[in-house]
Amino acid sequence: MNKDQFDYDVVVIGSGPAGQKSAIQAAKVGERVAIIERDSLFGGACVHRGTIPSKTLRENALRVKNMRQNVALVDFKLGEDTEMATLVDRLDDVLKAHDAFMRQQIDRNQIERIHGRASFVDSQTLHINRLGGESNTIKANKVIIATGSYPRHPDNVPIDHEHILDSDSILSMLYLPSSLTVLGGGVIASEYASIFQALGVKVTMIDRYPTPLGFLDHDMTETFVREFEAMGGTWLGCQQVKKVYWDDISEVVTECEDGTIIRSQKLLCAAGRLANVDDLQLKNAGLMLNDRGLISVDDKLCTVVSNIYAAGDVIGPPSLASASMEQGRRAACNALGIPIGDSSQLIPAGIYAIPELSSVGLTEKQAREQFGDVIVGKANFSEVARGQISGNTGGMLKIVSDSKGEAILGVMLIGESSTEVVHIGHMAMLCHAKVDIFIESTFNFPTLAEAYRIAAIEIISKRPK
Amino acid sequence: MNTETIELSIESQRIAQMLASLIEGKLIDVPMLPEVANKALILSQDPESDASAMAKLVQSDQSLAGHVMRIANSVAYTPLTNLVSLQQAIARLGMGIISEIALSASIGAKLFKTPGYEQHIAAQWQHALATGLWAKEVARQTRSNVEVAFLAGLLHSIGRPASLQTILNLAKQQNVSLSHDEVLQLEDRYQHQTSSMVVNSWEMPTLVIAAIEHYPRYADAPTAATQAAQVSAAIQYANHMLNPEHLDRETLLALPVLAALNIYHDEAEKLLDKSEAVAEKLKELAS
Repeated sequence: MNKDQFDYDVVVIGSGPAGQKSAIQAAKVGERVAIIERDSLFGGACVHRGTIPSKTLRENALRVKNMRQNVALVDFKLGEDTEMATLVDRLDDVLKAHDAFMRQQIDRNQIERIHGRASFVDSQTLHINRLGGESNTIKANKVIIATGSYPRHPDNVPIDHEHILDSDSILSMLYLPSSLTVLGGGVIASEYASIFQALGVKVTMIDRYPTPLGFLDHDMTETFVREFEAMGGTWLGCQQVKKVYWDDISEVVTECEDGTIIRSQKLLCAAGRLANVDDLQLKNAGLMLNDRGLISVDDKLCTVVSNIYAAGDVIGPPSLASASMEQGRRAACNALGIPIGDSSQLIPAGIYAIPELSSVGLTEKQAREQFGDVIVGKANFSEVARGQISGNTGGMLKIVSDSKGEAILGVMLIGESSTEVVHIGHMAMLCHAKVDIFIESTFNFPTLAEAYRIAAIEIISKRPK
Repeated sequence: MNTETIELSIESQRIAQMLASLIEGKLIDVPMLPEVANKALILSQDPESDASAMAKLVQSDQSLAGHVMRIANSVAYTPLTNLVSLQQAIARLGMGIISEIALSASIGAKLFKTPGYEQHIAAQWQHALATGLWAKEVARQTRSNVEVAFLAGLLHSIGRPASLQTILNLAKQQNVSLSHDEVLQLEDRYQHQTSSMVVNSWEMPTLVIAAIEHYPRYADAPTAATQAAQVSAAIQYANHMLNPEHLDRETLLALPVLAALNIYHDEAEKLLDKSEAVAEKLKELAS
């Protein structure tokens, strides 16, 4: 088929972080691009139900936590009848600004926006079902699937979006509940659990694993649990949930296999997410889901069908907006044969819990598995003047280096501003700098950046003689 | 709900002007939100309250207690058990439902004095209840707050009996005789403004007030646009359930408000699967 037989050179399904970046990348090299979104709002779940709303709530939760920590300055009490709308007061403005910016970017790049649900007729033909029942088909040379994910609803958790909620409906609560059970120990569970706990809600986190955020090193997750419990939260690890139900009075009851019973006013089920592919009719394109319910891709993000690529949550972890954006860009580059550059392999992870966690490169555990001997340097924020000044003393920074104490293999942080401060280590890694760069450079004083120097000194002191 | 437009008599037009002035001056006689409904609302939204406080409240109102027992023993709520005590009934129904019952039982038709129009008001109230119940289902579908949707749906036409009562009072004061159709036309014309006034006066949650204020023009709502569209959609689902001959299935499913809520045709159809459950609850709440 020649180019003229297609309506578009590239069609992207989904307008979340992966979809947007792939569409823009393809348009930047002069391709005819369309982006299909089933929702009336542009930006996907990340913008409207996930990353941005939860971070907006987080900002106010942090303010509340800080005011409670500084009773000498301000005698603060959060009203019992505080409406959720008050706690996400700036959300509308944030979303409108984000939406306008995204639309401008899409329009500027002459990308066609299509509002509807896409399904494959064959690998190069898509059926678009529009609101109101009309439909049409379009032909595309390359297709990039970036439809994201939606919350998984386990059979034993009857989600009604009223008392038992998922991460799509949790922010629809009218008032802050007095207590909240959070099922799960992943990123979403940890973020919401710590945010609501900081707001004064009595939170109990329940998960089958011994620690939350199990993909991070134990010292990081241990610090997170300690901080969460210091705010009044309860972590119940190694628990299998048997049954969840609304007691028909005023509480949600969670029964665990070992007999433990937790009662709370509301429950958030954050037990993973599933690839959002139900509408796509993948089999018509010759695609199938793998045993984890995800779309399998190769190292070029290409599926088993040569003209179809996939990026973002739909291909599985890390399910972070930053990673999805980069995957989207790479998927478009690979689909169009454009070089992707070498920086794209190093993607930082940010967890917007209270306190924040962030990492880039290998964890200590991964580094030991991969390289055997490694050297680790740590710095507690309590050792840094800025940490003391801001009351941010519970955090820490960790640098993992090779066995010579020179190459930086990974950087991890926990504590406020971690998601920003991690980028110092990130940049050092991208430049292939040695650990010594943190000692040879001058940082502003007082800043949390000093923690890099302290951790680097520890590594250098452990170098083999 | 639309009434056929007829030409108003000079007397009717005079009453209409007086009614408009009363609305503009916020001088409509809005009854107090019945204490029991007010308390039930507060209790159901108070994180510190428990079932015993709700039980005490229900016990304080004899007719409400009877209503709760009747509903608790209905097939919709307790298919396998026969509840004998109020305590059991409250435990069975839950705080949210008790609050719904308290509202529906105490606000209902008896709150306003509209002699000669009792049947009309009862039918309107049944439609309001159905709208509240459908609004909950629409809210679940769109992942919005279910309690706000119920309240906004339930109270979206509370201005009908308030307008009707005022029209009848004005006609009596002015010694004017209005036809049945003229009264209903005036009620229809002014009910929305009056509804907004009543919910404001009852200090309902901000989102509920905004949803009721904007549902007729949900697309232009400056705030609570989703909630306003939910009320509008719920009204149509209630219309279809109560009067399918006036709003058939296909017309309902093609309504623009569903597209405004980003509800696709198949999703709108799936919502109709809830019809039986909604009708069952309506029967109990309206009884």
